Parts: sequence; structure tokens; C-alpha cells
Amino acid sequence: MKKFIMKNKFLVISMIMLIVITFIDYTLSIKALEESANQIWIMLMIVPPIFILIGLFDVWVPRETVVSLMGENSGIKGMALAFFLGAFSAGPTISAFPLAIIMIRKGAKYSNVLFFLMVWGSLKLPIVFFQITTIGLKFSMIINLTMLVVFIIGSVIMEKVFTKEELIDIEKKAQEYAGN
Amino acid sequence: MIKEVIPLGVEGIVIYVVTGVLLLVSFLKDKKKTLMGLKKGYKSFMKLLPVLLPLFLFIGILVTIVTPEFISALLGENSGILGIIFGLVIGSITFMPPFVAYPLGVELLENGAAMPQVAGFLVTLMSVGFVYIAMESKLFSKKSAILRNMISIIGAIVVILIVMVLY
Repeated sequence: MKKFIMKNKFLVISMIMLIVITFIDYTLSIKALEESANQIWIMLMIVPPIFILIGLFDVWVPRETVVSLMGENSGIKGMALAFFLGAFSAGPTISAFPLAIIMIRKGAKYSNVLFFLMVWGSLKLPIVFFQITTIGLKFSMIINLTMLVVFIIGSVIMEKVFTKEELIDIEKKAQEYAGN
Repeated sequence: MIKEVIPLGVEGIVIYVVTGVLLLVSFLKDKKKTLMGLKKGYKSFMKLLPVLLPLFLFIGILVTIVTPEFISALLGENSGILGIIFGLVIGSITFMPPFVAYPLGVELLENGAAMPQVAGFLVTLMSVGFVYIAMESKLFSKKSAILRNMISIIGAIVVILIVMVLY
């Protein structure tokens, strides 16, 4: 029982919240379930091409290529590539995770993968254009330039915080989730 | 309600077209390899699905409770330092597509919310995903998930400070 709860935290919390909302206003819980169905539907629409791309990436791109482009000794080149991959992407952050996993699996440096994830989340070009048209150029630039600097410094520092064993562990997990 | 049959937008269509073209090229080049790739992709999807589904139940509930009106009420006029904290917290927890988030930011400003509150809210909304931490921990590691989100919160605070100085 305890193990089940720990393993399915989100499911349990969601159920409790749903029960509480039902007592307050049952129309809200119906709305919540509809919203969940809607979110799952959106995910199922967006996700298939992502996994097809991952599969193709897996069979066509050799590990050596990724290691030389984004690996341990890829330096600024690796970081720049991580930036472009993140910035010229489309889709919600959730679709970036599978791509990050395949990068790790193919030997990309962890700081580059982290940088890629962070750029994907908030510095995607389509979003930046939309941002400028809504909140204005100055406000957008303050946000984006600051975040870019923080992400660069942050991902470099972050990798240093991990021990070799921890990084190996992460790579093992990536192997497992990448469909092997 | 499931509002649209294909809720993809331009982004989604681009992904589908690019994937379709690459798949075709791959298939013409090497049938066997392509099938192997598809199989790998499918396997990976099936492994991630159980992690994803409960998450979406949670997101559905969250989106229902944390409405734009709710956010407006907390970040409104004269909300001060408390408003900044609310902005950071709500932005970190909740979940919103950019095409809803930025117009909401504009609306908040028009309704009298101050720049720093809105800045903190928008930055954390886009870059911090507390909802994703559980999944990120499973896929990478707990330490990685927490640290990565911490970096974005620090970034949000830096943005707030710069906005305070410049506006």
C-alpha cells in the first residue's frame, strides 16, 4: 500500500484533489476531467512524430557523431548546437524529454543536454516572436537575454555538481527509456 | 470538451511534415533500418506512457483551479512583494501554453499589476515545471530535476531585479 502510494504520487494526489473538489462543486470536477482528457488528447496528437524521429535518430545517427558534436570535448560548438536544437524546435517541453534521453544515450555531454532542455522550455524562436508582439521588445529582451546567460552559467555549473557515478546512472536510465 | 480534432497549430503541422519527409527518405534508403527505428520509437513511447498519464490527470485539475481570473486576483494592483512571491509560485506550479500566457501577462499589466510581478510569473511559467519534476526525476534523476528548476527560479529572480531597475 505504502509502496503503491509512493510510486503513484501524482495519481493519489490527483484522486484526493478530485474528491475534495467534488464536494465543493461537482461541475468543477467534471471540468477537470474534461481538461485532463483534452490534455491527454493533445499529447497523443503531438507525441507520435517525436517518437518516430527518436527512432530514426537512433538507427541513423552513430554515437561517434553525437560524441564529437555534443560530447565531453565539444566545447562551445556543443553548446551552440544544443542552443539551436532547442531554439528551432516546436512543441511543449514534454516532447523535449524523449529527445534529451536519446542525446544522453548517444553520448552527449550532460551540461549540453540540460542547456538544450532549458532553451526548449523558454527560448524557442516561435515563442520569442509571439512574446515580442504581445509584451513588447524591451520586456522580451530583458527576459530572454537574462535567461540565456543564466542557462549557460547554470548548465555548466550544474554538470560539475554531479559525480561520475551519478552521470553514469543517468545514462543507464536513458538507455532503458530509449527502447532498448 | 475536446475542442478541436487536431489541436496542433502551425508548430504541430511542421513536426508532422518534417517527420513524414524524413520517414520517407529513411524508408527509401533502408527499409529494414527504418522499421527497426520505428520499433525503437514505439518501445520508448510505451515505456514513457505510464509516467505521462497520471501527470495529465493532475494537470487537468490544476488548469481548472488556477484560472486567469484567479491569477489576476493574486497579482493585481498593489500586490507588492507578496504579489512577486505569488507570481513566482503560481508560475512554477501551473501550466499554460505560451499563446495563453503572454496575452494574460498583457492583461495583468493593463489591469494594474506591476512589471516585476508579471515578469516573475511569465518567466517561471515558461521555464519552471514543478509538475514535471516527478517525471524528470524518473527519467534523469531527482537531483537533476530539482537543480534544473532551481536555475530557472534564480533566473526569474534576476529578471525581476533587472525589471525593477529598468522600469
